[in-house]
Amino acid sequence: MLLALAWKNIWRNKKRSLIILVAITLGLWAGLFSVAVMIGSWDTTVNSTIDRNLSHIQIHTKEFKDESLISFFIPDGNNISDEISDLKEVKDVSARVLIEGMASSPSSSRGVNIIGIDPDREKNVTTIENYIVEGEYFNGIKRNPILVGKKLADKLGLKLHSKIVLSFQSVDTTLTYAAFRIVGIYKTESTPFDEAHIFVRKSDLYKTMNSQPIINEIAIRLNSSEYLDTTYTLLKEKYSSLFVESWKDLAPELEMTYEFLIVEMQIFLGIILAALLFGITNTMLMSVLDRVREFGVLIAVGMKRIRVFLLIMIETIILSLFGGIIGMALGTFTIWYFSDKGIDLSLFSEGLSAWGMPTILYPILPLYFYGVLTTMIIITGILAAVYPSIKTIKLRPADAIRTYG
Amino acid sequence: MIKQKMKKIFPIITLVIFLTSILTAQDAKEIIKKSDELIKSESSYAEVSMTIIKTDWSRTVGMKMWALEPDYAIIYITEPARDKGSVTLKRKKEVWNWIPTAQKVIKIPPSMMLQSWMGSDFTNDDLVKESSLINDYAHTIVGEEKFNGYDCYKIESIPKLDAGVVWGRLLTWISKEEYYQLKVEFYDEDDFIVKSYLGSDIKELGGRIIPAHWEMIPVDRPGEKTIFDYHGIEFNYNVNESFFSEQNMKRVR
Amino acid sequence: MNTYFHLAWRNLWRNKRRTLIASASVFFAVFFALAMRSMQEGSYDYMVDASVSMYTGYIQVHAKEYWDKRSIDKSMEISSVKIEQIDSIKHITLVTPRLESFSLISYGNVTKVASVVGIDPEKENLMTDLKSKLISGVYLSDNSKGVMIAEGLAKSLKVEIGDSIVLYGQGYHGITAAAQVQVDGIVKFTLPALNKSMVYLSLEYSQWLYSAPNRITSLSLMIDEASELDEVHSEVSNLFNEKYEVMTWPELMPELVQGIEVDNAGGIIMLGILYVIIGFGIFGTVMMMTAERTKEFGILISVGMKKWRLSLVSLLESLFLSFIGVLAGIIVSIPILYYLNQNPIPLTGEMAELMLKFGLDPIVPFRFAPNIFIDQFLTVIIIAMISALYPLSFIRKLNPVKAIRK
Repeated sequence: MLLALAWKNIWRNKKRSLIILVAITLGLWAGLFSVAVMIGSWDTTVNSTIDRNLSHIQIHTKEFKDESLISFFIPDGNNISDEISDLKEVKDVSARVLIEGMASSPSSSRGVNIIGIDPDREKNVTTIENYIVEGEYFNGIKRNPILVGKKLADKLGLKLHSKIVLSFQSVDTTLTYAAFRIVGIYKTESTPFDEAHIFVRKSDLYKTMNSQPIINEIAIRLNSSEYLDTTYTLLKEKYSSLFVESWKDLAPELEMTYEFLIVEMQIFLGIILAALLFGITNTMLMSVLDRVREFGVLIAVGMKRIRVFLLIMIETIILSLFGGIIGMALGTFTIWYFSDKGIDLSLFSEGLSAWGMPTILYPILPLYFYGVLTTMIIITGILAAVYPSIKTIKLRPADAIRTYG
Repeated sequence: MIKQKMKKIFPIITLVIFLTSILTAQDAKEIIKKSDELIKSESSYAEVSMTIIKTDWSRTVGMKMWALEPDYAIIYITEPARDKGSVTLKRKKEVWNWIPTAQKVIKIPPSMMLQSWMGSDFTNDDLVKESSLINDYAHTIVGEEKFNGYDCYKIESIPKLDAGVVWGRLLTWISKEEYYQLKVEFYDEDDFIVKSYLGSDIKELGGRIIPAHWEMIPVDRPGEKTIFDYHGIEFNYNVNESFFSEQNMKRVR
Repeated sequence: MNTYFHLAWRNLWRNKRRTLIASASVFFAVFFALAMRSMQEGSYDYMVDASVSMYTGYIQVHAKEYWDKRSIDKSMEISSVKIEQIDSIKHITLVTPRLESFSLISYGNVTKVASVVGIDPEKENLMTDLKSKLISGVYLSDNSKGVMIAEGLAKSLKVEIGDSIVLYGQGYHGITAAAQVQVDGIVKFTLPALNKSMVYLSLEYSQWLYSAPNRITSLSLMIDEASELDEVHSEVSNLFNEKYEVMTWPELMPELVQGIEVDNAGGIIMLGILYVIIGFGIFGTVMMMTAERTKEFGILISVGMKKWRLSLVSLLESLFLSFIGVLAGIIVSIPILYYLNQNPIPLTGEMAELMLKFGLDPIVPFRFAPNIFIDQFLTVIIIAMISALYPLSFIRKLNPVKAIRK
């Protein structure tokens, strides 16, 4: 019977019910969306580094990790990289040749990391193609095309289509010189990166060195970062003679920011929940004040105080549940919408709008959070009702009825 | 009638022009080769001063050089005092330095190969680079000019397609009679001159008559240059491969 | 006008409970907004500080073109007078000189390329906490003739404390720099790039080694308030002519800027979400409050009070309520935030360990600055006043007869 009464009460005072409902909905939506934004912002930063050059997992030989000599190539590298690209978690694999050498122009020389790639495969693994500001991605120069960073081109005094001479120690340790032509110039957020990394076709390197198609590095892009841990363990076991690293090993500082993020998130959620708690409590207090006369009458005609208390609690529980469901729906929808379109961060930060490239944040929310947050919010809503309810049942019916409502 | 004659003459003329150009090209290559041979020999010993001139400082390095072309060389520094006794050894494409103050031999790792040698504009890398002038370029005589009182061939050298050289083209002035390399101009691909070499002070050294004073002038850095002065050369010096060793680095004087 | 003020004021105090609850909602709003913003700005400052104290400092002074060319030939001489002048600039906490170059380092058969830095040992420690990275041996002193080398480098060379390594490279104006030096200490860095290449000498000794008497390649400056960066930068720039370059950390480490700004932007979105919630808290309270006074309004109007007068009084009530709430919020927040600014919340567990590994203080930082209070004060007042519009529209639509009968 209380249930029926509670239900009727809810509909009797639509405005009040609506406010509490909306409060819960908003609270849940806020919780879900803000966590999604936080995780998304970290994810975006990590992803842009992973996409630019880190990749999810990298494989080298153990010797190569100590000294990056081209002679430390991965035995049977091409077969291994084909095997890995067949895994369903893997989006694609880039098998690269890595050489530390020099790049020279008529006016200057610089030490560089020469990265020999298969341009078509590389496109699926890293996003260097998107950073091209001049020229094209391996299109337009037939002989020995090379992609260089803007900072390096400036330092060497070179431009698009200029000749650049690379010198390096080939596989057989002889010093080799070869002329390349700049087919494209790229620019990333990291000028040190632009200054040090140049990209050429593996096939051109093999021709210059007159060598077998050896590779020094296998870079792996997964279909989703969800697969990271499992794939990493799998590959580590399978290729135990090689050195398998995930981006967490390669860039430990990125992982630290994740831990920091979790703490930040907990704190902010705490604040939002507290704000919600107070907000709802206040609203309910106000509302109870409004219904003082009504409750006074109920108690005066014999309703036990405990039942009045339960009545209010049930009303709140019903509202919280509905609020929870709607909030979750709203949250899911907005997260899904923005995870597709992305939020342009330069609207919020001057520092970022100075950058040439737009920085887009894609909110992301692992499934686990939906359940946790919804439960937390609903509980908060119910808790918020406790104090006002207690205050109510302490009423003296006579005074209550006489209240000028 | 005339048309028929033209038809016959035309291919002949073309052939003549073609042959002449081949000859000229061969000539150009021969000329370059000869001027190169004039100042080199399979083995040699030389006493040289290198003067480095920058806008705000300058420094002179005295040295003794033993060389077994093209793979081996030892350079012993005689002055200034702080560098005296340092030795650089080149074996094929590798370079070692002997440091007397530390009593140690250090092999120059690849990443340091493009650091300057002795503070000059030359790098360790330049020491090991083969003079690719003859083979990496296609040479043609493009004119005749008088330079410094000498009648010279003006030869243009254009890098072959795959050659690992940074230049767009080179222009060399070689005296017709004596094959002295008097001037070389280095152009980038946009045809801007980047540096030039000048040879002068022709005198007798080691039995040959050659330029004893060489200047390397970077055109984009006015006021700077590197100067080599040869004080004595012995061509076809009696030395073999075993001389160019790590142990010997410590022993030469 | 006075009458209205009096009326509004008395109305508030007529029903203390209602007033208290309403202004409480504003109070909490301000409090939470302040707490969140203080934490966000605190963590922004913290991240910048942590990054710049790793090596570059907030501002660096070099000879012109040094940053581009990084050659010891582009070193400079700075008089102690100049350094004192910099020191006396407000907000500058540290001026650290360095002479940087790179050389070959060799031991036995192994030769590696190293980044060699001549430091003022005490100042360097104040800035980058270098002493805490010492894992064996002795820390450098001002006149040390030995080196401290990074752990990774020591491993590659297989050297231990007391061994003599050879440093070999090029000094100022092309003079060869070569010496045998003893390894006095080994330092360990978390970042592999540093751990494999750093070599430290005393400034005095490095100046002798590189034939660069009295010369340095950079002055690194630390300040106490990250927000004062631009001001300090222009003051420092005024001390130097065009033969020098004075650069700020965004110019020295542009890739860092992006990372921190992404975080900052995310924080603003979060703050926006908080505003939605607290805005709603206020609005809900106001709405309920208005509903509760339906009968009261109805009677007032039916005995002749013009609606617009009632609206005005209501507006004034809202204004007072908001101010009371906001001021209370600020007054309570000031000591709390100040305390937290001085004594940040310590972190524990895995998170703390990770931060310590990177040489970071495991804390949750709070910024205490006037701009935070001013910003939140204005924002919450605005939100409160927007909520105040509701009663106005309510009054407008009020049907007094119906209201009385409620």
